[in-house]
Parts: sequence; structure tokens; C-alpha cells
Amino acid sequence: MSTREIFDSRLEALLLLAPTVAVSLVFLYYPTALAFQTSFFDSGFGQAPTFVGFENYVSLLTSSAYHSSVLISVLFAAFVVVGVITSSLYLSFLIHEVDTGQGWYLISVIWPYALPPAVAALVFLFIFHPTLGVLTGPIESLGIELDWFNDGPQAFVVVMLAAIWKQIGYNVIFMIAAMNNIPDSLTETAQLDGVGRLRRLVSVYVPIMTPTLFFLVIINTIYAFFSTFAFVDLLTSGGPSNATNILIFDLYREAFSYFNFGVSSAKSVVLFIVVAVLMLIQFRLTEEYSHYGA
Amino acid sequence: MTELLQQAKRRYESARETDEDADESEATGTFGGVNLNVIHPQLWLLAGLIVFPIFVTVIVSTKETGIVTSLPDLLPGTYALENYREAVVDYGFGRFMWNSLLMSVVIVVGKLTISVFAAMAIVYYRVPYKDVVFLFILFTLLLPVPVRFVPLYQLINDLGWNNSMLAITVPYLASATTVFILRQHFLSIPTSIVETAKLDGVGPVKFMIQVLVPMSKSVLVGVSVIMFVYAWNQYLWPLIIIESEANQVTQVGLQLLQGDVQGGNLSWSLVMAGSVLTLLPPLALMILFRKPLLETFTIQQK
Repeated sequence: MSTREIFDSRLEALLLLAPTVAVSLVFLYYPTALAFQTSFFDSGFGQAPTFVGFENYVSLLTSSAYHSSVLISVLFAAFVVVGVITSSLYLSFLIHEVDTGQGWYLISVIWPYALPPAVAALVFLFIFHPTLGVLTGPIESLGIELDWFNDGPQAFVVVMLAAIWKQIGYNVIFMIAAMNNIPDSLTETAQLDGVGRLRRLVSVYVPIMTPTLFFLVIINTIYAFFSTFAFVDLLTSGGPSNATNILIFDLYREAFSYFNFGVSSAKSVVLFIVVAVLMLIQFRLTEEYSHYGA
Repeated sequence: MTELLQQAKRRYESARETDEDADESEATGTFGGVNLNVIHPQLWLLAGLIVFPIFVTVIVSTKETGIVTSLPDLLPGTYALENYREAVVDYGFGRFMWNSLLMSVVIVVGKLTISVFAAMAIVYYRVPYKDVVFLFILFTLLLPVPVRFVPLYQLINDLGWNNSMLAITVPYLASATTVFILRQHFLSIPTSIVETAKLDGVGPVKFMIQVLVPMSKSVLVGVSVIMFVYAWNQYLWPLIIIESEANQVTQVGLQLLQGDVQGGNLSWSLVMAGSVLTLLPPLALMILFRKPLLETFTIQQK
């Protein structure tokens, strides 16, 4: 370890670290501190901020609209995480098991990693369009009236499917790597002893892959909470009647449609706490599993 | 790891007992040709589902009106050239794509450079408090754009940077993930090489250019692709901070089309052409550099 430390000029080290530290300080730490500060003020466009203490937080605690936004976000994240993990796990397993064409299957499944959320949203808007959609006919022939511009639960499902679609690629990348690390001997013994294929996935592979799966659950939760803004903005704008108004979209509207910087800063602080808790869980789990790895 | 393996073995033992008869036929089927009949059709179907929406997008971008109400309408049209020309010239996608490209390249090059600097200082310098600095950089993982875009908007306005290339590049330059990946990789470079460099009296600049960079080619390509995809796909921040259409990026360019098409003033085939254009650069990079990309991801998880 120490043999790598071949230089000792403090000035050089300082110069090398300065750019990253400076950008972090000015554009990451400072705005976050500003959010904490502004959350205690009543502040809008062209208006002198007045100190209001915890009033903004109290208004969040008592706002039923905000409560429903929290509930929708949690439900949305839960559905997206479960949907992404199960579908990616099954797909990775099939690709792991297949005898030929593995490379082609892998590419055709992981490419949505590069898919821009805005493109994913517009494509879903088109193929599920209530009057023009390609899939609208086939779906309605199953006896379902497709009306998600007006129907809240349906809109929720469309946004959810688009979000799951985009995230499968990233998950398969990590799951395939984890499956390839499983010793062949274990797979062979299982096969020789007559353990069925699906059973092998659930009882043999999944327990070994636990660290990777935990990592992905956290990453997918953060994704569902924060990186799905474009889906909501382009597909539903939070509607109909706030059925898809997840926290990040709600925060955007508070700040840039209503210009309530005080309240929106309080909402930013709430989101910061969400990220912090998720990251802390991930850190704890990584620590725990590093004991096994050692 | 050994404990996990034992746990897996125990579970599998119990699975074997309960499962012995039921799955016997399927299990023996995994040998030989039977395998093909079970797995390939499933993969065709599922991979097909994942590719289908983009297949529709490409087809519709070649049609005259973009009215495709049933599956048999999914035959390619002959209006590809007109649609793409109209998207690029009349609807500003040439301009949007250029802005996106400029933004992404500046972010990738800038981020890569200053992250190599930081990781080099953290790994190869014997100086006090460098662990504290590393933690300080890592802690920014807790501060993603969604947590701070409201105050960042105020800060950028105060700096007079709104509506500029500076606004959509500089705040992205510091990257905890990149510094972390590079640090992990630098720690895996054999110490013998480092010691040889030291014995040869190699200075820091020479060490970086002649030892570190050549030893890290694959990782540098991998993180570059990750950063490019991340930068190119940014939507929320440019939407807020870029006001004029001339400076807008392609993701938000799509949003500008969305309003028109919903109002019926625009053909869906044009929106799909814009979508294909917006998808192509990150997709091409990912497919082209998939090997170093996948290698880099395995470092990230550690």
C-alpha cells in the first residue's frame, strides 16, 4: 500500500486535488447548504426572504397533497424495483443458461442502459396512445378500455412500465457478471442431482448473488425516486389528478411553476434525507458482506 | 464468500430433497438439444419485447403521417429522408444535437481530467489528510442534482451563467463515482511497476502520461462511456437553466415537439425521427465500447 506513495510534494497534491474539491464545494456543497438555509425562509421570485423557522416543514407535515405525493413515490418505487429486479433476474438467468448466441441476446437486452428517458417516454406515449397507439388495439381487444390520459391508475402503470423498461439493461449488466462468478462446480452438482432449472435459480443462485441484488435494490430505488422525472414530465405531467405526481416532479412544480423557493427548499431537504438513508443502508450492507468476501 | 457458498449448498440440499421427482425431466433436459427448445423461444420473446418499442420508433420515423393504429401498419415507409431532414433543419435538431454533443464532450473530457488528477493524488502521494479529502469527495454521492437544483438555479443566475454552456457543464465536473473507480483501478496496478518508475526518477507529469494513462486505457474508455451516456441523457437541469431554443439540448428539444404533437399540429413520424436521432449517439458508443464498459462496471460495484 505505502509503496505506491512515491511522491510527497504537498503543493503538487494540492494542485491535483484542487479542481475536484473546488467544483464540489461551489456546485455541490454550497447549494445544498443554501437549500437547508432557504428552507427556513418564506422566499419567492423578487421578494425579500423572511425568516419563518420551521413553518415550511410544518406545512409539509400537514399538507395532504404532499402526503399523497410521498405515498405515490413509495408505491412507484416499490413497483419499479420489484418489476426491474424480477424481470432482469429471469432474463439474466436465461442468457446465462443459453448455449448459443449469448452475445447477441445480451446486447438486445442491455441496450436500454443507453436509452435517454425522454426518448423512452415519447415512445411509450406513442405506442400506448389512447387513440393512435400501436398496442391500443391489441390491449382493448382483451377487454380493457385504454384511457390513461384520464384514468389515474392506468397512467401510473404506463409511467411505471416505461421506467422499468429503461432500467432493465443496467440491472442485467450487473446480474450477468454476478452469475458468471458462480463456480461451475456448484451448477454441475445441482444438475447431476436433478435440481430443476428454476429451482436452481431461486435456491442456489439468488442466495449467492445477495450482495449484488442488495446493491441493485438501492440503485433502483434511487433511480425510481429521482431519475424518472422525464417520464412523468413527458407522459402525464403528474396527472391525471396527481396520480403520478412523484416527489421529484412535485418539487419541480413547487419551485418553477409556483416559485415557492422556501417550501421547495424544504422539499429538497426531505429528498436529501431520502438519499442519505438509502446510501447509509447500502454502505452498511456492503460493510456486512465484505466480511464474507475477505 | 465461503459462508455464502455453504449457505447456498444447504439450501440447495433441501431443494434437492423436495424437488427430486418433479423437476427431473427438466433437469436432464438441460443437456443436449432439449435446452434449445426451452430457452431460445423465451429469450426471443422477451428480448423482442425489449426491442419492440424502438423497432416501432424506427419504422414510424420512415412513414408519411405516423398513423399506425394496428400491427399490420408496421411496414416501413418511404419518407425517411424527408422526416429526418425536417427534424434536423426545420425543427432545430441539428442545433440541439450539436449542443448536446458539445455539452457531453466538455463534461467527459473535463471530468476525466480532473478525476485522474484527484485519484492520482489520493493513491500516489504521501501527504496528510488525503483520506479526509477522499471522504469529502465521496460524500457528494449524497448530493445528486434533484436534491440541489433549486438553489443551484439561484447560484447559476447570480453568476450570470444561465442559458449558457457553462451552466450545463461546470456543475457536473466533479464526480465521486469517477474518482472512486479510478482509485480502485490505480490500486490494482502492480507496485513493481510503480517502484520501477520511482527508481528511474520519473516525475509526476511523466508518471501520469507514460505510466498511469497507458495502464488504464480500458478503464478510461469505460468511464468515458458511462459519463457520456449520463451527460447526454440529462433532462431536468437543461430544462430549467436553458431558456433560449438556440442553446437547448436534444432531450429538451424532444419536449418542445411533444406539445405540438399532442395538440395535433405535428406528425408523429417527425417526433419519432427526433427520438431516433437522440438515441443514436449514446447507443452507438455503448455498443462499440461494450467490452471496456462492462469491465468498468465490475469495478464500480466493489
